Amino acid sequence: MKFLLKLNDQLRKHFDKGGKLEKIEPIFDAGDTFLFTPPTVTKKGAHVRDAIDIKRVMITVIYAVLPCFLFGVWNAGHQYNLATPGSPEGAVADIIRGLIIVLPIVFVSYAVGGFWEVLFACVRKHEINEGLLVTGLFFPLILPPTIPLWQVAVGVTFGVVVGKEIFGGTGMNIVNPALMSRAFLFFAYSQQMVGNVWVRTASGVDAVTGATPLGVLLNLPEGGNAAEAMGAAGYSLKQMLIGNMPGSIGETSTIACAIGAVVLLTTGIASWRIMLSCVLGLLGAGLLANIFGSSPASQLPAYYHLAMGGFAFGAVFMTTDPVSGAATNTGKWIYGSMIGVLIIIVRLINPAFPEGVMLSILFMNIVAPLIDHYVVEFHIRRRMRRG
Amino acid sequence: MNEHIVKKGFDINLAGRPGDALVDLVRPKVVAVCPLEFAGVKQRLTVQEGDKVARGAVLIEDKRDGEFKLRAPGGGTVKAIVRGYRRFVERIEIELDENEDVERFKSYSRDELEKADADEILSQLRSSGYLAFLRQRPFCRMADISVKPKSIFVNAMNTGPFQVDPNVVVGDDPEAFQAGISALTRLTDGKVNLCVGADVSDKLKGVAGADIHVFKGPHPAGNTSVHISRVDPMKPTDIVWTVKAADLVLIGRMLLDGILPEKRIVAVGGTRIGKDGRKHYRVRIGASVESLVADHLQEGESRFLNGDVLSGEMIEKDGYLRLGQSSLTVIAEDHERRFLGWTDPGFKLFSYSRSFVSTWMGAWSKEWSHGSSRNGGERAMVLTGYYDRVMPMDILVDFLVRAVLANDTDEAIRLGILETAPEDFALCDFICPSKMEIQEVIRHGLEMIEEEGI
Repeated sequence: MKFLLKLNDQLRKHFDKGGKLEKIEPIFDAGDTFLFTPPTVTKKGAHVRDAIDIKRVMITVIYAVLPCFLFGVWNAGHQYNLATPGSPEGAVADIIRGLIIVLPIVFVSYAVGGFWEVLFACVRKHEINEGLLVTGLFFPLILPPTIPLWQVAVGVTFGVVVGKEIFGGTGMNIVNPALMSRAFLFFAYSQQMVGNVWVRTASGVDAVTGATPLGVLLNLPEGGNAAEAMGAAGYSLKQMLIGNMPGSIGETSTIACAIGAVVLLTTGIASWRIMLSCVLGLLGAGLLANIFGSSPASQLPAYYHLAMGGFAFGAVFMTTDPVSGAATNTGKWIYGSMIGVLIIIVRLINPAFPEGVMLSILFMNIVAPLIDHYVVEFHIRRRMRRG
Repeated sequence: MNEHIVKKGFDINLAGRPGDALVDLVRPKVVAVCPLEFAGVKQRLTVQEGDKVARGAVLIEDKRDGEFKLRAPGGGTVKAIVRGYRRFVERIEIELDENEDVERFKSYSRDELEKADADEILSQLRSSGYLAFLRQRPFCRMADISVKPKSIFVNAMNTGPFQVDPNVVVGDDPEAFQAGISALTRLTDGKVNLCVGADVSDKLKGVAGADIHVFKGPHPAGNTSVHISRVDPMKPTDIVWTVKAADLVLIGRMLLDGILPEKRIVAVGGTRIGKDGRKHYRVRIGASVESLVADHLQEGESRFLNGDVLSGEMIEKDGYLRLGQSSLTVIAEDHERRFLGWTDPGFKLFSYSRSFVSTWMGAWSKEWSHGSSRNGGERAMVLTGYYDRVMPMDILVDFLVRAVLANDTDEAIRLGILETAPEDFALCDFICPSKMEIQEVIRHGLEMIEEEGI
């Protein structure tokens, strides 16, 4: 290690002020602090500091999403092999196929997203933010495995540049960059974003497009039973919990998301208030629909919604982004529960979109500052009355 | 006696705590005054190198307030006047005589103090320079004597690592402390609130003339801002005075004797001080740092702090103790670089967050020795709400910090900045994953508001 440390110190002079490579100093810094923790000591303020830093926070989030990623790799390969006649069977074949499908998407997402992040860091002369590591992995996980790679590149470019950097970079963005990327693709290239996944129909494994559970729900005929229709289409509740079914790469398995939630909550990285209120909002609105809803879709038991679509992934990983979410404690409850309610509204009432997780979160991202504003105003008014 | 429970907060269990033992140090040859300690004083130097001065002789007058004077902590010859940035006098060194001359002020008995005129006491405090011990809220600066405070808070707690133990200081001279309290009661029409910890000694509790409030809980339960917010919350227009118990002892002694006290008690702690050296010392005011630590200093690069590790100020090793300094902490400068530190499960790292193994293995209750490493790079501020977990006052830290960063002083006032002191945000500094300097932000905000006026 001494050797590496020495090498770093030798290289550093080229990147320091006045050095030849001064302009790309953030790249050196990123590599340097990747290898070794920074040697910086405190100057002002508290003279000793907690061991936690943003690197640690972000890497914990990566650990938390790994179950989703690994399961997603297997599932993508599994679904492909199911839907492609003549392909090999077995877990190993599924995983290899899954890696062939998923790794290029992740690579493109990181490479293109990384390029923009580094470019902005060099121009703005600040350190490269580790938030990229999270955005670059979350984005592929909410894409269908059939996505063309060029769309991944375009999407992540839009998300990072328009979703984050034009607002000033990490910490100043209004909406979640990964979701912004997906929303861009969703509306710009909707054909590849909905439906076009390998789907096994009841008759066999030959179809290229087919209905997802939410599609079944949307197109439910008059007088049908939602849960039964879903079972008939091949989606049982158990299957939706495990996630061995078509869908976006990382979000099919509710169990994998739940493992992520456990990691995020025990380490205290994500807000339990947001996660819990999101679930409660969804269940509450689902129950109301059960009681008062007239359409057959609204009669789907509320807990089904927890396992369906991108809810679990969204609630665990997307809503809890501290930058784009609400910051006050009261605000977090409102923010989370509103997301849950909105998802049910889109799923059951809105005829245009089968799924509402992405849009609900993006919408609440935009509303979050307003919620915080009123919570803060309320706080101030209470303070004024006191004393 | 009222009891207040503070729930939010965090005790950093830092190794190197000073013991209760109180020992005398040998008389130093040189003492010094560091006038920059008294922020806001426009210096007019009244001595030259080589002048003979008595203990209590005027060294510097305030150009703005001619009555406020900085006086010599010892009698002897002015050995050196060190000037620094913009020719401010940084330090005046005095070589002590064998038999020091002493300049006398009016002395009071305790009975006289209880009936004394407020203006008379204030005038003596101003003239002796000890008014600097009386701080005022808002703005945490020397008290403005033109306004009568709504109440006065005496802080006799030490929840921060490692502040001087008020039980030791007051126990050493209870008479002076009582005199100080008696004098304070003359300065306000409101109450004098004495805030003590759960471990309060009988001598401290037995004081007359003050309302005693017991605060229990983790740091910052011992901070004056917390006391004010629980006992007598401030409105933006209120003025409250605050004083530390250890400083009040000096005030009391000065009023009783009519001369500037020779010594004060300083707690010496930190991992860079050998075990035997970590205790309370009775030292000459303005003695050199060296004289305090010489026998016990450990090998290696060290950082010397006037005050505690959370909000103390760095001083030089070859420097001198400040008049208002009641603790000296010495910690290691830590430039260590850990290989692939972000993968470290963290068995040996200390964190308030639960993302390290150590936290799950009970690191909070174990002693922890750590140096000055910032433990990470500076990043953008993220509104997380983390800070509120260690803020026991009714303050939304994220939004207050953001208001100050945006120079929105009106919003900052509405969010309660005037009730706070930078030290209240020390734990926010500590736990911040973006490694922000929250105390500096608040200090800047307070300065900005004071300049603009409210």
